[in-house]
Amino acid sequence: MNLLRKLPGILLLAVIGYAGKFTEQSIAAYGKAHHTALPNIEYVLWAIIFGLLIANTVRVPALFRPGVDTYEFWLKIGIVFLGVRFVVGDVVKLGGASLLFVAIELGVSIALMTWLGKKFQLSPKLTSLLAIGSSICGVSAIIAAKGAIDADDEDASYAMAAVLALGAFSLFAFPAIGHALGMNDKMFGMWAGLAVDNTAEATAAGTLFSDTAGKFAVLAKTARNATIGFVVLGYAIYWAKQSQAKEIARKGAFLWEKFPKFVLGFLLVSLMATLGWFTKPQAADIANLSRWAFLLTFAGVGLRTDLREMKKQGMRPFVVGAIGEFAIAGLTLAMIVGAAPLLGL
Amino acid sequence: MKLSLDWWSVILALAAIGLVMAGAMPHIPW
Repeated sequence: MNLLRKLPGILLLAVIGYAGKFTEQSIAAYGKAHHTALPNIEYVLWAIIFGLLIANTVRVPALFRPGVDTYEFWLKIGIVFLGVRFVVGDVVKLGGASLLFVAIELGVSIALMTWLGKKFQLSPKLTSLLAIGSSICGVSAIIAAKGAIDADDEDASYAMAAVLALGAFSLFAFPAIGHALGMNDKMFGMWAGLAVDNTAEATAAGTLFSDTAGKFAVLAKTARNATIGFVVLGYAIYWAKQSQAKEIARKGAFLWEKFPKFVLGFLLVSLMATLGWFTKPQAADIANLSRWAFLLTFAGVGLRTDLREMKKQGMRPFVVGAIGEFAIAGLTLAMIVGAAPLLGL
Repeated sequence: MKLSLDWWSVILALAAIGLVMAGAMPHIPW
């Protein structure tokens, strides 16, 4: 049965995630008992490091792979639970602002990536995939776009490898930059949500900075994810006009099909919280469920990052992606800092 | 009709929230 096949991998995610949490707590307890100030390394980082170590030394055995691949499912469940920590007003204000930022980000990213793609002589469809991957949602956007624009498997795997490698890099780089710039939790969370590729990496980068930053990173990233259908549809129409992809007949149905449904769950739970449907202990329990679900995700981020596989994909798509990412990181940072007083960040 | 994993994530999360609200789930610490 399907669930039975997934069980070993899900257990592995839970063990690695819990080992990360246990390590953080043990180090803190040791420091306290011995009156020593030890650096506080968050459970998020430990879980990712343990996963990375396994994936890049012994590799994940085949028995565990179907379950490890569920890490994005737990992420989506975690995001729905996280709705409990938002009031609808915040979601509308910050989510709406995020959508505006995403629109600007998209325009700049598409123009820049197209120019870079030409400079580095990448295939136009690979360039489209890199632009979609770096501006919206990383791997899921690339998968959604691949079918719609009729791209090669090879182009899609190049784009995914580049986006994953850059996501892994951002995971460590963003919190360090955020601390160096003295950003507050909300500002950093919004920045990570808008600039870090892949929802799992954006959530992890935010949570590495602080719990509150993780919450706002999810909000901004969720707004970004919601635009996936529109962007993929835009590209599909463009490539159909070039007679290099199939025409999409029912555009409304296409948009609905590509829309990430967990966003609706997140909004619903946030609405329930705003209407006061949860008692304080209930809201705390649901928020904790979200943390546990994210813990499985963070373990999965490490386990699925295979550095050797990324090396095999070659440097050019990675360089194009990296230049684009730096530009997007700078642009989104400027937008967040500029809009901070207006948004009360 | 087969539901996508996306929908399943929403259904499972809402079911768990329902259990919390009904008091059928033990307290979840972090």
